[in-house]
Amino acid sequence: MKISLKWINDFVDVSEYMNNVQALADILTKAGLEVEEIQNRAADFKNVVVGHIKVKDKHPNADKLSLCQVDIGVGKIEQIVCGAQNHKAGDKVIVALPGAVLPGNFAIKKSKIRDVESNGMLCSLKELGLAESSDGLFILPADAPVGEAYATYGGYDDVTFELKVTPNRADCLSHYGLARELGCLLNKPVKQPEVLTKFVSKSTKDKIKLEVLDTELCPRYTGRYIAGVKVGPSPAWLQKRLEAIGMNSINNVVDVTNYVMLEMGQPLHSFDADLLKGASVKVRKATKGEKFTTLKEQELTMNGDELLICDSEKAVALGGVIGGLNSGVSEKTQNIFLESASFNAMGVRKSSRSHGVETDSAYRFARGVDQSGAMQMSDRAALLIQQVAGGEVYDNAYDIYPKPVTKKPIAITLKTVSDRLGYPADEKLFLAYMKGLQIKVETKAPGEYVMTPPVFRFDIEQDMDLVEEYARLHGYEHIQETIPALKQGPVHHDFDYTMNQRVAQTIRAEGYNQAFNYAFTSDAFENKFITDVTMFRTMGLPMDDKAISIRNPLSEELNVMRRTLIPGLWKNTLENIRSGNSTGSLFEIGSVFSKKENGYQESRRLSLISWGESFGVYASQVPQIYNIKLAFEKLFQSLQITAYTFVQNTGANAPEFVHLGQFAVVMVQGQNVGYIGTAHPGWLNDEKIRVPVALGEINLDAVLNGQPRPVKFKSLSKFQPVERDFAFVMESSKAVGDLMKEAKKSCGAALKEMTVFDIYEGDKLPQGQKSVALRAIFQNQDAALTDADLQSLSQKVIEAAQKSVKAVLR
Amino acid sequence: MSNAHLDQIKSQALKAFETAQNSQDLYQQKVQFLGKTGALTEAMKLMATLPKEEKPAFGKLVNEVKGELEQAYEKAENALKNKEINSKMLSERLDLTLTPASKEAGKEHPIYRVTNEIFSIMARLGYSLRTGPLIEKDYYNFEALNIPPNHPARDMQDTFFIDGTHVLRTHTSPIQIHSLENEKPPLRVIGTGPVFRVDSDISHLPNFHQIEGMCVDEKVSMSDLKGTISFFVKEFFGPGLKTRFRPSFFPFTEPSAEVDCSCPICKGKGCSLCKQTGWIEIGGCGLINPRVFEFAKIEYPKWQGFAFGFGVERMAIIKYGVDDIRLFPANDVRFLKQF
Repeated sequence: MKISLKWINDFVDVSEYMNNVQALADILTKAGLEVEEIQNRAADFKNVVVGHIKVKDKHPNADKLSLCQVDIGVGKIEQIVCGAQNHKAGDKVIVALPGAVLPGNFAIKKSKIRDVESNGMLCSLKELGLAESSDGLFILPADAPVGEAYATYGGYDDVTFELKVTPNRADCLSHYGLARELGCLLNKPVKQPEVLTKFVSKSTKDKIKLEVLDTELCPRYTGRYIAGVKVGPSPAWLQKRLEAIGMNSINNVVDVTNYVMLEMGQPLHSFDADLLKGASVKVRKATKGEKFTTLKEQELTMNGDELLICDSEKAVALGGVIGGLNSGVSEKTQNIFLESASFNAMGVRKSSRSHGVETDSAYRFARGVDQSGAMQMSDRAALLIQQVAGGEVYDNAYDIYPKPVTKKPIAITLKTVSDRLGYPADEKLFLAYMKGLQIKVETKAPGEYVMTPPVFRFDIEQDMDLVEEYARLHGYEHIQETIPALKQGPVHHDFDYTMNQRVAQTIRAEGYNQAFNYAFTSDAFENKFITDVTMFRTMGLPMDDKAISIRNPLSEELNVMRRTLIPGLWKNTLENIRSGNSTGSLFEIGSVFSKKENGYQESRRLSLISWGESFGVYASQVPQIYNIKLAFEKLFQSLQITAYTFVQNTGANAPEFVHLGQFAVVMVQGQNVGYIGTAHPGWLNDEKIRVPVALGEINLDAVLNGQPRPVKFKSLSKFQPVERDFAFVMESSKAVGDLMKEAKKSCGAALKEMTVFDIYEGDKLPQGQKSVALRAIFQNQDAALTDADLQSLSQKVIEAAQKSVKAVLR
Repeated sequence: MSNAHLDQIKSQALKAFETAQNSQDLYQQKVQFLGKTGALTEAMKLMATLPKEEKPAFGKLVNEVKGELEQAYEKAENALKNKEINSKMLSERLDLTLTPASKEAGKEHPIYRVTNEIFSIMARLGYSLRTGPLIEKDYYNFEALNIPPNHPARDMQDTFFIDGTHVLRTHTSPIQIHSLENEKPPLRVIGTGPVFRVDSDISHLPNFHQIEGMCVDEKVSMSDLKGTISFFVKEFFGPGLKTRFRPSFFPFTEPSAEVDCSCPICKGKGCSLCKQTGWIEIGGCGLINPRVFEFAKIEYPKWQGFAFGFGVERMAIIKYGVDDIRLFPANDVRFLKQF
């Protein structure tokens, strides 16, 4: 909210701060009314004065320049070179003297222009930042006082504050309200606004019929008839005040209603009384489907919850939000009906939000307007209307106010204040602050009080609110620094988060960088990845047929809650590659979303993506997919999970974006938990990606089920392990893993380890065959291996190879 | 046979050992002097020809020479072996200006790094970690935090709606409510995770992260709150930094404060990060509003509390000097590898 200090000064004397506005801003900020910006035109226009051109000559060395002798007051004449063409001797103009700094950080200095001395600049409005464009110098009226600061003469000697008023301080959403607060902060008296007290002896009630049907949404309604106004432009003082805080002048009557709102915080509306059909006003709830056109020419269709101000035929205003196109004050208006009412805060906010109509009036009502002041504000507006537009203000105004507001008394002790702030509160200060805030204090016993806040302080309802008032006025800098003693028992951390940390640590150790993507995504983009929901469910990644949509998405790019993390990582990968990061690995642990009965389900996924080829001396050239597989294996091992497999179903369905031959379903303890795969070559080609990309996603909730598994120690064998190498020839299409699985089954615990150390396909073998070299490590737990044992174990390996994949010893 | 002869053998042998070029050569020399038919052995044989009384002296002398030569041989042998192994090693020289293609460990995303760091600082004060759902009931996100429907305080947090009763949580404060409902005071918890606001521009992400703390105990004051945050600020940003409270408004705390700390970059002298003020705003806090306790059915004023919250991205921006908030969700590995 913009606040003019000159205006504030009408109510509380802040003149001593006009030369040090920062000090005043600091006082407000410290009290919780943050000054976000200070605009100080008077300072901006320092050394800019009214001048009088005494003589205008041609510049001796330039045709287009003139040489002026300008009277700048106090008997001083300055020589100034000027490039404009529209001035003549005798004109009053605006002069920027050396020391002035014009907008754009343009500093005026004494200078020489084409060898002629120039001691300032004659200004256009554009050069002063007061107009978008200018046609030459701004010529002032002949009566402009020579030598006066232009800021003063032009009415720019005001300072405005951009104030951040938090939603609890609706009482400060006006100049008077802020002046009242400053009165307390500066310990100064606050003047009351002048109101009209004498009315013509004619009754409003004879002119307009008024009926309020909903006192819930409209707890107070006042209305007054003013006859014979002359609608026209506002006087300069009124225009200037509105302008100073950024509001446009419309006409004198509308300007007064706006003025009183900005000054007193009470939104008002003036109807053209002759446009109110049946000379009646009815305040009622809207009916569903009812139409209403605002004065901004926006047609609204009511949903039935709104409060409307109507005449005998139609709606003329959306209560507390905006007036109608059909009944506003215009040049033709002669008689007005002035509304000063109180509308229900939540009702107004709802009307305003549901129709997207945001106005200064709705903003104030939604935060709270002092009901007790409605009539007084009407009288304030009547006074000003009479001053600027003439007319007869009728007596006997309507004031329908069935349940006047009261504030509940609050019991509080000084000890409460001290205890909650953590330092001793001072009774004298406490009572002085409360008095300054117009809070009524009744002392029940020493240090025990009952306090009744004024009705305009909507935010003070309980003892803690009074504690805050004390803290705020005393200054938060008095709050001490203590650390409370720990009284609770041992703490336990959120298990899911702890496990996420462990998983992240393991995956990072495999070279993956942790990524974070938005939890929402583009429905269209995600659907490219999810063409067959059943397939994902079969793979152990449950998901809904359709993603949960956001009602008010930022854009189509972020319109649904994600069902998989892969599209996000895929996008990250493309951007990385395009930024020149030719290799890299990312992982993300995040939530995916689905519906469940009466709500939503969030489950954790772990997804990996890795791209590019390892490059450089001694680089390993392992296909990317194996890196994905390895990371998952390391994770399972770290979680003490031994029963995991990667099931490669040849010819089975793979997700749309995955390479059919380089794809496996991840199985943990007999349950599918996700998949790994190389990116589909077609997808890479479409994106013009020339490096391999592999990825995988697992259902982390499923994998972490039953965690933490205990680590079980096995005693170390005292007997020597024995290595035996084997070379088998088998069909290329057969899986070595099947051979190893069978060998382990057949040899039992004596086969400690089996490692593939070479695979060969080529000229030395028939087409479609591969040679596989394996090393087995045999060891017994409780006895040394004999030659006969080794013989038998080797035979078992050979037989297992034959049985599982028809492999023969080479 | 004379002593002079023995001296000659000795000096010849020593010279031969010393000049041998390799172990092979040295061994030959050893055979020549100390072998079965070697010069010294031959000299020994001459002892038989000596008169009885000269024998002991001569024998002693021969043994001395033999001992000396054997020692000299061993020394020469070691020297040669060393020389040989050194030359072998030199032939195996590797170019250590090279660095192999490496597999570095991945990095923690700065958001999680900050979260975990804050979490571990607060754990030392007895705080334990809590999380909560991202799609949250309106009740937990707003009402139970003293933000009734159609209250203007809702304007402070532009909300994404899922349906009539669910929103994407706009802050981590609902975690407090779950904790108050499910656990018994005294309580010290830290809540963290993603939050969502309809706001996307150069300095706002629609999906960002918060971390917040709550302490509920029998007697809790603003001074306790300030002391706790001050401890955190010093631990997280560095010793010597000051903490400042400014009055503010949050519906779920009363009194409420915005928290500033002295700028960790310029240490309060004024720089571009703190816009020359010497102070940086880091979050909001306050004593838990009794209304919140009422909603959560916690007895007040028997139990009192404070709560505070920080933006995780903001903490990372301040601590690491990240100059563009949009880097956080971009996941560029050049960015991630810096943490």
